[in-house]
Amino acid sequence: MSEYLLEMKNITKTFPGVKALDNVNLNVRKGTVHALMGENGAGKSTLMKCLFGIYEPDGGEIYLEGQKASIHSARQAMDKGIAMVHQELHPIRFRSVMENVYLGRFPGHMGVVDHKAMYDKTKALFDELELDVDPLALAGEQSAAILQMMEIARAVDMKAKIIILDEPTSSLSDREVDHLFKIINRLRSQGVAFVYISHKMKEILEISDEITVMRDGTYVGTWPVSNEKGEKLTIDFIIKQMVGREMTNQFPAREGKPSDEVVLKVENVCSTAKKSFQNVSFELHRQEILGIGGLVGAQRTEFVEALFGLRGIASGEILLNGARYSAKSPGFAKSKGLALLTEERRATGIFGILPILENTVIANQRNYAHLGILNDSKRRVDADAECKKLNVKTPSLNTLIQNLSGGNQQKVLIARWLLTNSDILILDEPTRGIDVGAKYEIYNIMLEQIAQGKSIIMISSEMPELMGMSDRIMVMCEGRVTGFLNKGEYTQEKVMALATQFAGRKDNTAA
Amino acid sequence: MAETKSRSKRLMTMGGLIFLAIGIILYFVKEPMGLNRKIYDLPVFLIIIGACSALKGYMAKEKTEEEAALAGKTFSEFLTNNAILLAMLVLVVVICILQPRFMQIRVALDILTQSSTKLIMALGICFTLLIAGTDLSAGRMVGLSAVVSASMMQTATYANRFFPDLPQVAVWMPIVIAILACMVFGALNGFLVAKYDMHPFIATLAVQVIIYGACSLYFDMPPNNSQPIGGIRPDFAQLGQMRLFNGVYRGFPGISILIPIAVVICIVIWFILNKTVFGKNVYAIGGNREAAVVAGINVFRNIMGIFILASCLYGVAGVLEAARTAGATNNYGNGYELDAIAACVVGGVSLNGGIGKVGGIIMGVLIFTIIQYGLQFINVSPMWQQVIKGVIIAVAVAIDLTKYRRK
Amino acid sequence: MRKIFVTALIIALTLSSCAFADVKIGSCIYRFSDAFMLRFRNAMTAESVNEKAEIIIADSLNDQNTQDAQVDDFINSGVNVLIINPVDRMQSQSIIDKAKSANIPVVFINREPTAEMLATYDRAYYVGAKPEESGTEAGELIANYFKSHPEADKNKDGKIQFVMLRGENGHQDMIARSKYSVEAIKDAGFEPVEIAGAIANWDKLQAMTIMNAFIMSLGAENIEAVIANNDEMALGAVEALKANDYNKGNAEMYIPVVGVDANASALDAMDRGEMLGTVLNDADGQGTAAVKLAVALANGKDVSGQVVDGKYIWVPYQKVTRGEK
Repeated sequence: MSEYLLEMKNITKTFPGVKALDNVNLNVRKGTVHALMGENGAGKSTLMKCLFGIYEPDGGEIYLEGQKASIHSARQAMDKGIAMVHQELHPIRFRSVMENVYLGRFPGHMGVVDHKAMYDKTKALFDELELDVDPLALAGEQSAAILQMMEIARAVDMKAKIIILDEPTSSLSDREVDHLFKIINRLRSQGVAFVYISHKMKEILEISDEITVMRDGTYVGTWPVSNEKGEKLTIDFIIKQMVGREMTNQFPAREGKPSDEVVLKVENVCSTAKKSFQNVSFELHRQEILGIGGLVGAQRTEFVEALFGLRGIASGEILLNGARYSAKSPGFAKSKGLALLTEERRATGIFGILPILENTVIANQRNYAHLGILNDSKRRVDADAECKKLNVKTPSLNTLIQNLSGGNQQKVLIARWLLTNSDILILDEPTRGIDVGAKYEIYNIMLEQIAQGKSIIMISSEMPELMGMSDRIMVMCEGRVTGFLNKGEYTQEKVMALATQFAGRKDNTAA
Repeated sequence: MAETKSRSKRLMTMGGLIFLAIGIILYFVKEPMGLNRKIYDLPVFLIIIGACSALKGYMAKEKTEEEAALAGKTFSEFLTNNAILLAMLVLVVVICILQPRFMQIRVALDILTQSSTKLIMALGICFTLLIAGTDLSAGRMVGLSAVVSASMMQTATYANRFFPDLPQVAVWMPIVIAILACMVFGALNGFLVAKYDMHPFIATLAVQVIIYGACSLYFDMPPNNSQPIGGIRPDFAQLGQMRLFNGVYRGFPGISILIPIAVVICIVIWFILNKTVFGKNVYAIGGNREAAVVAGINVFRNIMGIFILASCLYGVAGVLEAARTAGATNNYGNGYELDAIAACVVGGVSLNGGIGKVGGIIMGVLIFTIIQYGLQFINVSPMWQQVIKGVIIAVAVAIDLTKYRRK
Repeated sequence: MRKIFVTALIIALTLSSCAFADVKIGSCIYRFSDAFMLRFRNAMTAESVNEKAEIIIADSLNDQNTQDAQVDDFINSGVNVLIINPVDRMQSQSIIDKAKSANIPVVFINREPTAEMLATYDRAYYVGAKPEESGTEAGELIANYFKSHPEADKNKDGKIQFVMLRGENGHQDMIARSKYSVEAIKDAGFEPVEIAGAIANWDKLQAMTIMNAFIMSLGAENIEAVIANNDEMALGAVEALKANDYNKGNAEMYIPVVGVDANASALDAMDRGEMLGTVLNDADGQGTAAVKLAVALANGKDVSGQVVDGKYIWVPYQKVTRGEK
């Protein structure tokens, strides 16, 4: 019998162009809470998806209670006692809570569901977890916290030995977090192990027994939260492990400096959605790269989308080159010289079933048209020139964009916005999921644009990129701007501290 | 690679020439040998097919490596991709054996004529399919346009005139009015879909019912009281019945005016889809609506445009139907939209949006008309015709989806 | 309230003739806007002038309750006889009961109550047309044409090779008309051969498409006649023939086409020689017969000579051919 309930050894997973996991280890003991930490994109979710059978690892082994296990589907994972509570829950909204708990394994005989048994079992489960919810209530009417408990109840009922919690507290109130921790503690004492993914340092120090840190798809190390002497790990130590890497020369040299001219002035801009960004203020100078840092849920994407007219703005003022600007629609934003490269390349960027040509010129059709009729050769010449300039590797402009690699797709999307000749480029995670070589090319393109007098707002969750490319960093946390850092004064620790400013709970643990 | 390329070219050219030769020989021997009543115009068809494929093989441009790779499909893939086309060819051969009269030029022309109005409708509906929508009101719009235009186009002496006191107006006026009436409802479709984000299925279903009701009210107005509209003016009927080159050659039945009209509309729609901002936006919205929004495309305006343009085409189809049959009732066009959608799908238009070409739609409509016409030709029972039609639709969509999944 | 409305309606819609007539007829029509019933009404009004009777005709607005109320009003106002075109023929019993208790005769028109209903009252009658007769007349039109035009038998085999265009599947008129038109041709001494037939759902467009296919597949020269269950389908066949240069005035290229209904478009086509004939559901004859019967009943005359089975007057359909508009 192994001392570990779960051992993941040398897990490796490669996606086209990216090595997402490189020899990662994770060892979880029975009856413990094991925190899995790392920056966005460090590979935590990928690792968990490998464990849960959603991805098939390219290399490495998984052992459960000392036995080698092969998991090819979520179903198999569940059969082996692994349960996962996702960050975003998608219950069947118009069915009852109990049906959601027993979905896919309704009690009964020969296809006839025994509703009485289901009710009683759900009731018993909820009583055990001290949940005061009517099993007959509609799932869609429950709060996020209840839904999460419901998922945990489901896991408990399935006799799960390991429960993976992905950012479980991101939308919970303090009282709800207390309740969650109470349940975790009780299950832990019964021998259930948890893998706990979170960015919230203080919570982690409070609830977990051990911490494993990952960085850039690699395994950094595993530490117990308190040593034999009862000393706890410090937040600083953890942050250092998460971000502490050597800075090599992965960025092209920046020449020149931003001018003093303010091209965009944002004052106290609030979202129409209550939980989104509030009171955002900043100035963007000509030829400046303003980086926006923060964690998942910092509402950075929501803010830039609002700036581009995709989301509502309730109050505040925006001045574009000194004139009032109201973000009515993307078309309007485009006409005012804004460009937005979105975060979700597949969902909101590319037109997968259309050729590269169409993908390149789609935002700029008006300039090729006379009375709505297109000048085909001009379109082709421009698209060809732009794609060549950005070094898009493709057999021809007629190739469907979905057949290109992520990096080349991204370059096509950048080409699309460069063709519109916009003054302000908003780049949301411009290098996510693309390989190192393509990243460097994209950085070069950014600097070229700056040299031509443009300005850039760049959202990045990759710390080195944020620090390596930005002239100034604005950090956001939970929809608010928590601070600005000027070039030369930023360190990863400072950024992380600002990004987690509100993320802790009551200051009741040693920091 | 290069060898297979030139080989397929050579094969096509040679095959074409053989067809051409057989055709010419048959053409000259059929009368002396008394084959006239056995093979009819088969030689002419052979000559046309042979000449076309020889020309195509000869003219085929050098393929790039990528295209050659795409063309180098396996035989089974070729079979599935062209299953409907092959089924049609088999059916045509069977019909020709059962009923040699099928091999007549006039039959081919008749099929083209019957395809014309269907094609115009299918071209309209394809816009709504390209944005992953649909248009169930299309058929009823045809009926509306037919009734409205016919009601104002009756001869002065006809006993049961719709508007007894209406003077003999210029032909274009009722046509414009009928098409405008359709466009009003098209705008309503577009408004419901674009403004309220309604699914086109339900929005156009609602509009379909409204149109039928409105059209029936109009049709029931005294003194007509729901009588079929007849006594159509010959100058209006000519729009659908005129035949060009009638009798230039012994027994040549002439080319229905509907065929050139459909050809012109095909060219216009091809131009709109491929050469205008609007057309590109249609593909973009269908390909990825969210991305289209981010790219600054005014989705509202484009969706309105799509439904209005589509309804304009239905209006044209309705006018032509009224002219062709020299009459109209409020029941005209009933169920046409389903035939048009089916033809589009058979022609490779994806119901998931973003994929579809004018050439494919022409093929789809032709395949559908040929099969329907052929079954009627050998007097297959209407019940069986329905069954076969349904099977074709199911198979075509299944093929469409597997193609989609393969990518 | 409703009663006042109904009464007002009757007054507003009254078409009265002689004020001092002996006979006062109360009549209900299921819906005034029906074109066929419009002809019916005009015939009734004209005939009551001839008979020196007074007739009041009410519009039942396609609502059986309205009609029942109108019948009550008629009885209360002292009419001698009722002529009723029921909204729903299966609900005629209440009207028969009302007439029976008031002891006035009632004549039903156009929509036939069941025999059981009529049997409950000895003074209830029905005036109408037999559906099978429309088929017979259409068949006779073809047979007569072949008698007077022997050259119409193109292949000289003594048989009539015809195409049948049928109405909606299962419709009683479709069944009766298809069956009896063929019977009539047989009865006239010809052998009918249906070389092709199809259901065109009373629809001109469908008929045109189908006829076109038949012309192509059979060859127009092999079709000797076209029998359609209604005029719209007959006209569709005519359009298909015209598109193939038939029925355009050239006697060599003519195929007789018959329909049923005698609608305006069919008459128009017959005037132009494109269609042989049609069969008229004789609204005038039926209206006249109904009023004649009603007046006789009101005057207490013996009508047993006029009616069959003690209850019915069958008005024959009428053939309409070229020149007899």
